[in-house]
Amino acid sequence: MRNDMNDLAKNIRKVAFGLLSLLVVLLFYLTYIQVVQSDFLIAHPLNRRTLEASRMIPQGMILDKSGEKLAYSKKVGDSFKREYPYGSIAAQVVGYDSITYGRSGVESTFNSDLTGNNTSIAHLGAVSHLFTNRSGNNVVLTLDATVQETAYKALGNHKGAIVAINPNTGAILAMVSKPSFDPNEIDQQWKRISTDKNSPLLNRVTQGLYPPGSTLKVMIAEAARREKVIDLKEKIYCEAALKIPPDYILQESHLEAYGNINLEEALAVSSNVFFGTLSLKLGYKKMKNTFERFGFKRSVGQELQEVASHLPDFSSLGDGDLVQTGIGQGSLLVTPLRMAMLASSFANEGKIMRPYLVDKITGLDGSLIKTFAPEEWLTPTTPQLADEISKMMVKVVRNGTGTAASLPGVLVAGKTGTAENSQGDSHAWFIGFAPADNPQVAIAVIVENAGFGGSIAAPMARQVFKAALQ
Amino acid sequence: MINTRQLERNLLVVAGIIMLNGILAVNLAHGVLNYQTLGAVAFIFAGFMAANIVLCKVGHTGDPLFLPLASLLVGIGLIIILRLKPELFMLQVMWVGVGLSAFLISAILAKRLEQIAYFKYICGFIGVGLLLSAILFGVDIGGNKNWIIMGPIRFQPSEFAKIFIVLFLAAYLSERRELLTLATKHYGPFVLPHPRFIAPLIAVWGLGMLMFVLQRDMGAALLYFGLAIIMTYMVSGRSSYVIIGMISFLVGSVICYNLYSHIQLRVDIWLNPWSDPSGGAYQIVQSLFALGSGGIMGSGLTYGFPTMIPEVHTDFIFAAIGEEMGLIGAGAVILLYILMIYRAFRTSLLSLMPFSMMVAAGLAVSMALQTFLIIAGVIKFFPLTGITLPFISYGGSSIVSNFILLGMLFSISEVRGYDAK
Repeated sequence: MRNDMNDLAKNIRKVAFGLLSLLVVLLFYLTYIQVVQSDFLIAHPLNRRTLEASRMIPQGMILDKSGEKLAYSKKVGDSFKREYPYGSIAAQVVGYDSITYGRSGVESTFNSDLTGNNTSIAHLGAVSHLFTNRSGNNVVLTLDATVQETAYKALGNHKGAIVAINPNTGAILAMVSKPSFDPNEIDQQWKRISTDKNSPLLNRVTQGLYPPGSTLKVMIAEAARREKVIDLKEKIYCEAALKIPPDYILQESHLEAYGNINLEEALAVSSNVFFGTLSLKLGYKKMKNTFERFGFKRSVGQELQEVASHLPDFSSLGDGDLVQTGIGQGSLLVTPLRMAMLASSFANEGKIMRPYLVDKITGLDGSLIKTFAPEEWLTPTTPQLADEISKMMVKVVRNGTGTAASLPGVLVAGKTGTAENSQGDSHAWFIGFAPADNPQVAIAVIVENAGFGGSIAAPMARQVFKAALQ
Repeated sequence: MINTRQLERNLLVVAGIIMLNGILAVNLAHGVLNYQTLGAVAFIFAGFMAANIVLCKVGHTGDPLFLPLASLLVGIGLIIILRLKPELFMLQVMWVGVGLSAFLISAILAKRLEQIAYFKYICGFIGVGLLLSAILFGVDIGGNKNWIIMGPIRFQPSEFAKIFIVLFLAAYLSERRELLTLATKHYGPFVLPHPRFIAPLIAVWGLGMLMFVLQRDMGAALLYFGLAIIMTYMVSGRSSYVIIGMISFLVGSVICYNLYSHIQLRVDIWLNPWSDPSGGAYQIVQSLFALGSGGIMGSGLTYGFPTMIPEVHTDFIFAAIGEEMGLIGAGAVILLYILMIYRAFRTSLLSLMPFSMMVAAGLAVSMALQTFLIIAGVIKFFPLTGITLPFISYGGSSIVSNFILLGMLFSISEVRGYDAK
């Protein structure tokens, strides 16, 4: 009997050991879920906690450079609702914030700052509630609400985009995309907004891909000078069309024979034949290098969520396609932001600053939490060449195709473009900067299917220049 | 040496302070002090203290840890229920009161545990009857088809059946220890006693399978099945019973998996919840989100979003604890269970009679299995089974049955063997 009891005890001990071990294993697995997997689970897109938490406290405001409110939280009942005083004017850049449909724009990319979740004390658990100010931080943009509004109005009822940047810093002053939507109405109008074939949700400045057309000629001019395929004084005889074997004929857009012209004159009249000839002289290798030099193959960083430009496959490019690329046509597709950056390189002594939208993060009391300093991105060309091209661009506006962009008393540099495309009428382009002797703003304007850049896009650019330089 | 009841009283005070602290935190987070809830805390605390005094008066010398551990678990349960479903808080308080009375009755009655052994078949029939009643007349409440409704009373028989099944198995098995140890029949590589002796075991096994199939109650099935196998192992010391049991359960599971889509679904959800996070796996994925978002320190009471999990106040209450009290809180809960189960096994080992040893061990096993199954399900360590977390989950049947179970353990712990000294 005694032995028997010992056996029973021995077996019970084994069972106890086994079952208690199971519970200890559970403790380890719980630790794995709550510690190792924690970040993954918190950040999972289906985890609505951050979204819900952000409703319980007032999120920070999104402000323009001078403190104008672009987005703020208003208390409705127990929770907070986002209000957008500028409505559709800055819709794509500021973004929307919806429980159901998520977030876009700065509301999305700077969400953790706006909700204040990025503070390290969140890891303190319950104790952290003693320290949090129960409110998010403000995000101050580089945007100038006045310039933004001017650009929005300038585009009128056209589809298109306008982007203005400070060439010396890369700060984005205005970023307009049309058609737009009202972020205040995102929940009510979602169906219409999200299915509209004109894609109002798309930020055309960073996500629209367009053939740059003749605006690209400023870059070809720079390449031709840098690679020394042409002298400043050298003239090329331009007929109304250029035959390229075997069967391609490049025509002037107005079928005009410009005769003997030099580089500056060719840029002013935007001669296709002249720049087609330059492209052939450069050859595909140097063309390719030029695009790479100006950063068309590089990302400008995550913040702006820009789509990559589409460059032709240079190694298999025939002469006809090479010439097409040289006048900004063919399979080449770029974003408006890229063209503004191209203009800014000539405005900033050959340097391109990294474009940025958020200037700083401030606390509720205005205290500075984080600043984003301007950053040099690329140096595609020399100050001398930049100066040369800049002078040619001034001529374009003074007495070339871009006269509609001129402002009294201000030296404006620019280049127009009229980009043929498969969707219908040509896109009207204008890129440039002002004042040319002390550049403060670089710009790219694209108006979809609207016709000539000189008559449609250049006057819009003029209004934006005027507003930005005031 | 401190008197055991004195020690128990001190520990109860600690548990009471923790409960008061949590209730106050939930109250203050809402900005108003609800005196009703504070009164309830006082009532619960007084209830535990009264139990302590009664035990003192009758000269009970049971394990001084059981009551404080239960009080702490109950306290955590009440705090989280007040936070999740304030409208159920007072009901749960009432159930704890009923549970405490049941504990005292059970603790005093179970002193005559040996007499219960005579009525083992009655116990067995009651247990089986309770389970069968759930199978036959079960009503679906909140997704579980294991409720019995009798007029104004509704309860979950499977919560109570486990006590009777443990009593029956303990009595039956402890009487037939020799028979089971000295197996007589050879089946291939396995040796088994004559089928006549293991027939009741097969009955329990079959009942488990029946619940599995008819009621979709995988948790209860696993619980009773595990209980039968493990208790058989304890008396026989033969791992072949465990192996045969596991194989037969695996075979049964595979058959069920192929036959029944709901079981297939559960297992598939467990294997890969991320393939359908908004559909079938919604609940478990939300539970993981809650646990992950809680992290080590938790969000703090009322600052999390555990209500995103459907049925959070019953099956998924552990995930709510994990979110708002963090790994620290959830880990502490597991440690409390480990302590309680450890003390239960210790009670068993210190007991003198084979029958009471088996009862205590059986109750410990049932508590361990139940705790493991539900927590493992909630944290996706194991397929989800819909059973309650002892002393914490909302529900009268669960609270009362666990207090009865605890009372029995408490009572057995008094009968100290000479080895204990």
